Amino acid sequence: MVGEIWNLIILSPMINILIVVSGYLLHNFGLAIIALTIIVRVVTLPLTTKQLRATKAMQEMQPKLAELQKKHGKDKAKLAQEQMRMYKESGVSPAGCMLPMLVQMPIWIALFQSIIRVLATKPEDFLNLSQHLYSSWSQVFFLVPLNSQFLWLDLSIPDRFLMLPILVGGTMWLQQKMVMPTTSADPKQQAQSRMMLWMMPLMFAFLTMQFPAGLALYWVISNVITIVIQYYMVGGWGGLMPAGAQKPVGRDKKYITHITRVEEKPVDFADVGADIGADVGADIARKAAPSLRMFKRQAKKNKGHRPKRK
Amino acid sequence: MSGKLLIGKVLLLLVMLLALVGGPALLGCTGVNTIPRGWSGGVIADDTIFLGSMEGKLVAIDVSSQERRWPDVPFEAPKKATGFGCAPDAGGVAIYGSPSLTEELVYIAAYHGKLYAINSETGALRWVYPREGELEPIVGGPVSVLGKVYIGSSDGKLYALDAATGDKGWEFETGGKIWSTPSVNGDTVYIGSFDKKLYALDTVDGRKKWEFATEGAIVATPLVYDDTVYIGSFDRYLYALSEADGSLRWKFQAENWFWGRPLADGGVIYTASVDGRVYAFNAGNGDKIAEFNLGSPVSSSPVLFEGSVMVASQAGRIYAVNSGQQKKQLVDLEEEIYASLVASGGVVYVHTDKDVLYAVDTRSGAIRWSLSLESE
Repeated sequence: MVGEIWNLIILSPMINILIVVSGYLLHNFGLAIIALTIIVRVVTLPLTTKQLRATKAMQEMQPKLAELQKKHGKDKAKLAQEQMRMYKESGVSPAGCMLPMLVQMPIWIALFQSIIRVLATKPEDFLNLSQHLYSSWSQVFFLVPLNSQFLWLDLSIPDRFLMLPILVGGTMWLQQKMVMPTTSADPKQQAQSRMMLWMMPLMFAFLTMQFPAGLALYWVISNVITIVIQYYMVGGWGGLMPAGAQKPVGRDKKYITHITRVEEKPVDFADVGADIGADVGADIARKAAPSLRMFKRQAKKNKGHRPKRK
Repeated sequence: MSGKLLIGKVLLLLVMLLALVGGPALLGCTGVNTIPRGWSGGVIADDTIFLGSMEGKLVAIDVSSQERRWPDVPFEAPKKATGFGCAPDAGGVAIYGSPSLTEELVYIAAYHGKLYAINSETGALRWVYPREGELEPIVGGPVSVLGKVYIGSSDGKLYALDAATGDKGWEFETGGKIWSTPSVNGDTVYIGSFDKKLYALDTVDGRKKWEFATEGAIVATPLVYDDTVYIGSFDRYLYALSEADGSLRWKFQAENWFWGRPLADGGVIYTASVDGRVYAFNAGNGDKIAEFNLGSPVSSSPVLFEGSVMVASQAGRIYAVNSGQQKKQLVDLEEEIYASLVASGGVVYVHTDKDVLYAVDTRSGAIRWSLSLESE
């Protein structure tokens, strides 16, 4: 039942559109994959934007969260309560990062599946594909089977020259590196982030060696689009640049007021020091003061102009 | 960063991975771009049915005793680098086309690009084509007529081989893959191609007599009946062409592709489509006489028995239909059917996707016997 609904409202439309698009693009399925990937990413751009903004805001809150961790690390209930209070006051929530992505996932999966199905190679694949074709779109019947040759690739089989695995891994690394925090107080988190930075690209590069090149093409294009969006949304090359070389970037309007309010709220560093020692507390207060001043300056500056939205 | 947030980030990445890889693997690759399994139909002679099992073996069964005539003949596919998930050509021997028989030999083609000639009495291998290496995947079945065997391959070529030795007589190259089973009538062999054309070739030297262009790929098997060639295409049309010059006599548009072979009986053409319908036409002028909705795609070729057309839907139901608008469901096997049907002595034989051979009574629909083709 769920499968039928999925096919009816998401998968079949995507398959037919993909076939028709290839018809308009010189009967070239590679161009059709690129075009439809771009279309899908443009359509889901508001969601992507929302997700990136929320992620960025979360990152900016990390120092505050770290302080809370230090302050209430022993009292888990209090820590959770304080974290929730901070999320509420700042208007940022972890769900804000996840939800837009979850909403986009069915579309990505449908595009992914439709590429697999249209790249039918065996009789079973063809019979399966036939059940997705719209009888009122005579064009799709003339176009199938599609030409799977694109540049040096046969899109229905893995790339023999291993160019796509390298591109998939490389673009994924870039994409992750851009949004990776350049500094982190927690060495454990740094290690985890570093591991993820390499693990995911390597895993996807390995998968690309197994999957039809058409799917890999989709991954590469999708990654490149994400990099472009991140460049404009997150602010330049983000984590790719050394920490000192990064330009301070404008914040998202939605979160400016809330985060600024949170930042401007007096932080009881003495209280922090009560937990971890007065000297250390004072030291943290000293170190945090310049960044707090910078945040405040930035927030004041941002109040005066509307951040660019791409 | 708090432990919870760290866990959250790891979970997020895992969800992404699951969505991009696991999701499609679960939802998209199921039954798609997986290992070719095959769906060989059968051929009957002297109370023996020959067919390819889904394990990639030639099986000979005495239909009276349901005993193997000889041990199943296995075929070996070349070792290829295998992937997982949606990687194509992950290995295994698959047989799609029905075998073909002469008095002494049974011919069977495997998806890995080999045609085998097996002694029908002993199961011993006589010859294999090509002797070294493989052709591109073979989906259609071989046809043996007057000392020649014809087989098409995904390399786009139709091969005419000496039936006794397997030596190549001639080959004809089309502009696309050949998945169609050839048809021979007199001194002409007909073959459809992914290049959307039907070709009429001279059986002697492979010379092209004529070609007919449709707007879709052709995987169906042509039927020659009363000086007319009938062929279905992916453009959803069934075409009736002059056998002499390939000129169009009439055509009919269905809702989806034609995959199987049409049938003719008493001036009526029957054909089934993956749109789930069986159509009956006046062979001469193409007037539609009847249309039966089976509610499930039909890709197997139907078979004629005592004036009724036996047809199987992919859902596993077998029907008897006739030009008198009568449709009778014989049996619901509840297993998917893609293989062509074969009928003999009041029994229709059906090879299902569970690799089971059923013998179904053509009148009552009772299952007389069933036999798993899997190795014991």
